[in-house]
Amino acid sequence: MFKRYKPSIVLLALLLILGLVLSACAKDKVEGVKKDDPATEGKKDGEKKAANDGPTDGGTITGAMYSAPAGMFNPIFYDDSYEANILDFTHEGLFTQNDKLEFVANLAKDWKLNDDQTELTLHLEEGVKWHDGAEFTAKDVVFTYKSIADPDYVAAGGVRSNYVEPLLGFEAYNKGKTKDFEGVVADGDYTVIFKFEEPSVTPLYTASFTIIPEHIFKDIAIKDIPSTPESLEGGKVIGTGPFKFTDMIEREQYVLERNVDYWKGAPHLDKIVWKVIAQSVMTGLLEKGELDFVASPGGIHPADFDMVNEYKNIEIIEQPDFGYQILGFKHNHRTTADVEAGVIEPANWVPNKKLSNPVVRQAIAYAVNREGLVGEGHGKGLLHGHGQPINSPVATQFWAYDDKAAINYTYDPDKAGEMLDEAGYVDKNADGFREDPDGNEWILNMDYPTGNELREKSAPIIQEQLEEVGIKVNLRQPKEMSAYVPGLTDDNTDWDLYLIGWTLGSTDPDPSGLWAAKAGYNFSRWNNPKSGELLQKAVKAPEAFEQNFRADVYGEWQHLFSEDLPALLLYAQNSIWAYNDRIEGIIALPHTMYQDSHTWWVNDAK
Amino acid sequence: MYQYIIRRILVFIPMLLALSIIVFGLAKAAPGDPLSGKIVDPNIDLAVYEQQREALGLNKSIPVQYFNWASSVARGDFGESIAYKGRSVQSLITERIVNTLYLGLVALGITLVVAIPIGIYSARNPYSPLDYGATTFGFFGLATPNFFFGLVAIYLLSINLGWFPAQGTTSSTGLSGFAEFKDRIHHMVLPGLTLGLAGTATYMRYMRSEVLDVLGSDYIRTAKAKGMSDRNVLYKHTLRNAMIPIITLMGFEFGALLSGAIITEQVFNFPGLGTLFLSSITNHDYPVIMAIALLLGVAILIGNLLADIFYSIVDPRIRYD
Repeated sequence: MFKRYKPSIVLLALLLILGLVLSACAKDKVEGVKKDDPATEGKKDGEKKAANDGPTDGGTITGAMYSAPAGMFNPIFYDDSYEANILDFTHEGLFTQNDKLEFVANLAKDWKLNDDQTELTLHLEEGVKWHDGAEFTAKDVVFTYKSIADPDYVAAGGVRSNYVEPLLGFEAYNKGKTKDFEGVVADGDYTVIFKFEEPSVTPLYTASFTIIPEHIFKDIAIKDIPSTPESLEGGKVIGTGPFKFTDMIEREQYVLERNVDYWKGAPHLDKIVWKVIAQSVMTGLLEKGELDFVASPGGIHPADFDMVNEYKNIEIIEQPDFGYQILGFKHNHRTTADVEAGVIEPANWVPNKKLSNPVVRQAIAYAVNREGLVGEGHGKGLLHGHGQPINSPVATQFWAYDDKAAINYTYDPDKAGEMLDEAGYVDKNADGFREDPDGNEWILNMDYPTGNELREKSAPIIQEQLEEVGIKVNLRQPKEMSAYVPGLTDDNTDWDLYLIGWTLGSTDPDPSGLWAAKAGYNFSRWNNPKSGELLQKAVKAPEAFEQNFRADVYGEWQHLFSEDLPALLLYAQNSIWAYNDRIEGIIALPHTMYQDSHTWWVNDAK
Repeated sequence: MYQYIIRRILVFIPMLLALSIIVFGLAKAAPGDPLSGKIVDPNIDLAVYEQQREALGLNKSIPVQYFNWASSVARGDFGESIAYKGRSVQSLITERIVNTLYLGLVALGITLVVAIPIGIYSARNPYSPLDYGATTFGFFGLATPNFFFGLVAIYLLSINLGWFPAQGTTSSTGLSGFAEFKDRIHHMVLPGLTLGLAGTATYMRYMRSEVLDVLGSDYIRTAKAKGMSDRNVLYKHTLRNAMIPIITLMGFEFGALLSGAIITEQVFNFPGLGTLFLSSITNHDYPVIMAIALLLGVAILIGNLLADIFYSIVDPRIRYD
């Protein structure tokens, strides 16, 4: 008798325990907030007093990242943004960017461009010291660029060749034909001259790369630089920045200590400690004060925004990110022969008939509810309102962004239906889906990658919205990024629609790397001669020396883009950064909040 | 006996060779390569990655790549990681293996200390309230996903009560000696409990059913009839015989110990081999995948060998010649 009841008794006990645990969680949460109130109030008062006293020295702040840096702390070889979190404090370039994204002198004191913009002469700050006490000179600049131009650089794992390719004599030096690199030369200890192969529209960008110390690396062959302790270990990495990278527990903690000899003035903070923290516990630690700041990459999840915003001790910085998500349209496919040979030759491309009518692409654009994906506020949409639908593939922060130039596809399924009807795509066999004008079955294949939770969620939503206007979409299984990209690149396949996101650089708005016909990343295989013409015109000397001229040309191009639609831009997510209000002096720039960290201070330093 | 061990070890070699071929083939068969996932930065020319593929030898045929890999391993060189630039595979593994062993042993210790006494008690007092309680507790532990238990533990014991640190293996870089040891133990409590309690149910149930089994056997009855004390019957006759399945389990555990606990490691940001293995698979970091696969293979083989040797110690009826 008793035995028969056993399972249900066990189940009951389980439920009871679970209930207790859950109710304990809920109760603690309420109490936690209450308990917190007087404490934070008190702190706020204290802070006002301290703020009047001005900056005080001392104190340690803790930052969080969700994933550990891979471990390469050499600016010329690093490639992940977690490593950048550390290098941003330890290393510097000749230029940095201000709030309008203009380049301003940093290690360079002043500069002069010749009239046809083929030569950039820079005078360096004098008396700048490397962390080990050696002096920073023009030799370091020359060494840095020479290393990136080195024949072995790419094979050793470097990816920054775009900084040296426009320089004079790059080809010859890179092919090993000469031992002298003409592109960057020193004139004495404090003057550097950058020479360009052709008149450069973005000379300051080219000259803005982070500088590494010659005296540390000069005797090491380029191919061995990535495996030297000076590139890998805390305490051995040397820069000129406001903080020294002194110690680390790999994959857990990275310790930055103040560089008292910093040339812009000694930093106020003693230490900045980066900790690697699982995203799931980050908000709790932030509220508790165990973490002081969290920023890109990742930042605060849009769904957590309202909760974090309630924390009394936390300040939030929210601004548009330098990137966007797209629904790409495969205009053309490459031939199998081209894919195998790795050739990108627009003349050979095979048009994708399923999407070749621009009206169809525009109808799809009207059928997708982009505003709905973004949402209006907490609990709505995928982004909880923390983003915006954008119409042009240029980051909104740039002078080149022109929202008015582009067509704004507001959600209008009726209009989409009408456009498809007029184009001849109607449902002839009454199966609920449209056939193509010849009456053949019309199914669009849609592919998407994993790795970005919000993008993954958007795929079935888009499928549903397109099917609502009668477009049959075959949504295929998502793939992880490293398997997805080969499918995008080797496109002698049946792909029609694809999702991908781009993170743009904050340096120059030129979109040709993504959308020029021959660009490798032009996964839509968009081949519009007018677009090619405009993109070239926008960077052609000497007219393009004028920013207004470039802005006009890009405006025209953005209109063309939105009309011909190589891709529908879905949304640009906002980056949401947060920091404890005990830190003073953080300045939010569009691309970073780590600039001038030597002026940061904490109002509760002892 | 020694001959047996040597024979077993010699068999390892072809097994590991087969293992390496299968793992290498599977890793290469998965679509993508170490560089294909990186292609999301529009500032970097695709040609750069093509040059790097060439330099890494990824464009060669798979048998050639396998041969190159195998011959450098035969020379004792596991190569350099691709995802972790500039790092040798050896340095990556030694960096993590300490954490992994440490966590694994603590968790196993907790499991055994909790499970074995309860299992014995349950077997000696079957269907008692405490037996039911232990069963419930055990299944509760088995049914609760690790990540959930871990997060609840962090929320209650770390964030609300502040008793234990929530993340990592140590709190700061400047510690040494006893202070560091204490700090590391302190950091070990939550992940150790999370991982340890999850395993208790299995051991407890095995122990319970084995002891029950043995208690009902003829030789125990004989021993009792001879007037041996309960204590002696339990420790001298029952436990030894009941240990055999536990030893089998622990033999497998030896491999699992090294593969780490991927979920627990992630929730507590505890850098161990499990997360390294996982990330090297998603990054297609072939040299690291291969090295860890071989390491796990060796560990499991050795674990089984040790289990077989221990059988003959615990149960004299089992002999190897």
